[in-house]
Amino acid sequence: MTSSAHNDRTEQMEIDASAKWPVLVFFGSALVWLLFGGVLELIAAIQLHTPAFLSECEWFTHGRLAPAAQNALVYGWGMNAAFAFGLWLMARLSATTLRHGGWLFVAAKFWNIGVTLGVLGILGGYSTSFELLEMPRFVTFILLAAYALIGAWAVTTFSIRNTENVFASQWYLFGAAFWFPWLYAIAQVMLFRAPVRGVLQPVVAAWYVHGLYGLWFIPVALAAAYYFLPKILGKPIANYYLAPLAFWWLAGATAFAGGSRLLGAPVPVWIPTLGVVANFLLVVPVVIIALNLFGTLSGSYRTLSGSVTLRFILLSMAGFILASVFNLALSLRGITEIVQFTLVTGLRDWLIFYACFSTAMFGAAYFILPRLTEKEWRSPALVKAHLGATVLGVALLTVGLAFGGWQQGHLLNNADLPFGEITRAMTFWFAWRSVTLGLLLVGHLAFLLNFFWIACPLNSQDTARAEFQNPPDLDLPKAPAAEGHA
Amino acid sequence: MKNGLVLFLGVFLALALSWAGLLLTAHRQLGGLAQFKDPVEETLNPFPMSGLADQGRLVYQDLGCVTCHTQQVRREGYGSDLVRKWGQRGSYARDYIRDQTVFLGSSRIGPDLRNAGSTELHSYADTDYFYKLLYAPQAVAPGTNMPAYTFLFDVHPTAGRQASDHALRLTGKHAPAAGLEVVPTARARALVAYLQSLKDTYDYPIEKSRNAPAATEHAREGGH
Repeated sequence: MTSSAHNDRTEQMEIDASAKWPVLVFFGSALVWLLFGGVLELIAAIQLHTPAFLSECEWFTHGRLAPAAQNALVYGWGMNAAFAFGLWLMARLSATTLRHGGWLFVAAKFWNIGVTLGVLGILGGYSTSFELLEMPRFVTFILLAAYALIGAWAVTTFSIRNTENVFASQWYLFGAAFWFPWLYAIAQVMLFRAPVRGVLQPVVAAWYVHGLYGLWFIPVALAAAYYFLPKILGKPIANYYLAPLAFWWLAGATAFAGGSRLLGAPVPVWIPTLGVVANFLLVVPVVIIALNLFGTLSGSYRTLSGSVTLRFILLSMAGFILASVFNLALSLRGITEIVQFTLVTGLRDWLIFYACFSTAMFGAAYFILPRLTEKEWRSPALVKAHLGATVLGVALLTVGLAFGGWQQGHLLNNADLPFGEITRAMTFWFAWRSVTLGLLLVGHLAFLLNFFWIACPLNSQDTARAEFQNPPDLDLPKAPAAEGHA
Repeated sequence: MKNGLVLFLGVFLALALSWAGLLLTAHRQLGGLAQFKDPVEETLNPFPMSGLADQGRLVYQDLGCVTCHTQQVRREGYGSDLVRKWGQRGSYARDYIRDQTVFLGSSRIGPDLRNAGSTELHSYADTDYFYKLLYAPQAVAPGTNMPAYTFLFDVHPTAGRQASDHALRLTGKHAPAAGLEVVPTARARALVAYLQSLKDTYDYPIEKSRNAPAATEHAREGGH
């Protein structure tokens, strides 16, 4: 090991040490929400084929439970996990420690209080009925204030960077750090502070939801993929010179794509049309990103067996491609005529949120946590169970929702069929969904157990001297290697 | 890319452009949409909601009905909404200006409700029907997976008091035990008033002409 590589390693350990507790706190809360939201989601799914299940209690009626579950997962698990990963990666790539981490505890505390109140608010009947903005209005301030701290930490860490170059993952994290609060604040103002009238409300809501998935969750997932592939494989991103083009194109087009959710809705037709055009334009960045990521991976597929992180990242990349395909398919009027308002509509968002984003966070956690705690994962069996349940669950749910939704769409469009018949025919797919959600939940439970083992400070015997396999040193000419993965 | 400022400006522009291009432009176009006065009947359309119905809108919002029900009728030839009798015409943007919160919805696990209150389309849909639908969905819609909203109803003993005028007339297995009656609470009454207010009966001449199929096949064929 050369001395500069040695210095790098020491520096990385310093950075990891500074990020340890903020990351553990954010990730720990994320996992609790993942379990809690997953249970709510499962109950809501069961209610679709067994409507009497828990329906007696007003707090658990399906119309409240389903959005509560979605909010718990998106704002509880998704955002917390993204904070944990984003802050750590920003520090690593900017080659600077995460300073004054104590403030991040305050932020984490307030964020989680906000989400808790929000979810309880939905269950208690204070929902606003706009997708992913259902939380009662007073929660907005808590969430925005907490986010302001977190976002400021990410951006400040970036601006005191000790690196010459800025790597692709940093663009995505930097962009996401600004896009989320802007989207959220604008949606709140336009829907609740000074509400717009009539069908403008759904236009604002569609713009927000699409932005949240496309300009927050996808960028964070891509930041993970762009970082871990070269890091673990020990080679630079293939065709890296195209990556900036993909970033700007993806950002610009995604911001305009929200209208595509309103195909056939009573809004001026240019709104969905603009969204459809934007979705078609998105083909270019998706192809570039695929070239970047799969190009880097090509020829190294045997490395996959040695790294859980890589396997999760590969799953996330597959989820990204699949979500993009579904997004495009849902822009075609002929297809939308059939699958609009069916299970397929939910599948598009689920693919982004779970198959693409959540799997990337799992992969990241398997890489980050042993380095932060200087311990190994206690139970390889639990890791395997988590990976297996995730792969199987993603595959089964994608197939189930796609086929089920397709059938549902055809039944809905067959006007001779009474509505009760459709429900009866769909019962099988609703049950399928419950089973796969249960499977995913088992995986999450395995992950949570492993996390407790590794994160619990008391539990350090015979794992303290764990050794990591450092990625091979890059034996490259100086210029491209400086391209940024610190 | 090395320059943080360039990165920030690009990130800002990406979102600012879409905000201005999509939301502000849409607002300029639709923000001033007003009621239409019928020149002959001299009625204002859409007619504002009654106070009770507006309270019901809040119950609809609080119970999350929008999770499973849309409130948008797709135009003729796009899906079979009209054949399913979910409306007499496709919905127009103007229909929604009376709604303080617009529940367009994105899932049809249950049927569309934009014209749920139209007795022209659903002759059976009287007040009693909606109460039964909420209290015991299976009683009026067999096979449905809609949950029962029993918590919107009070179950009173009838002994020693005058029977309620509003008590539900339930039969069979959904009927309450002897000596009990099921009475809708204020929330149930508001919700049903809201559901019954859901009907877009007026066809606006401007929208009608704009949304009419362009003079295509028929006109051309007839032109010979």
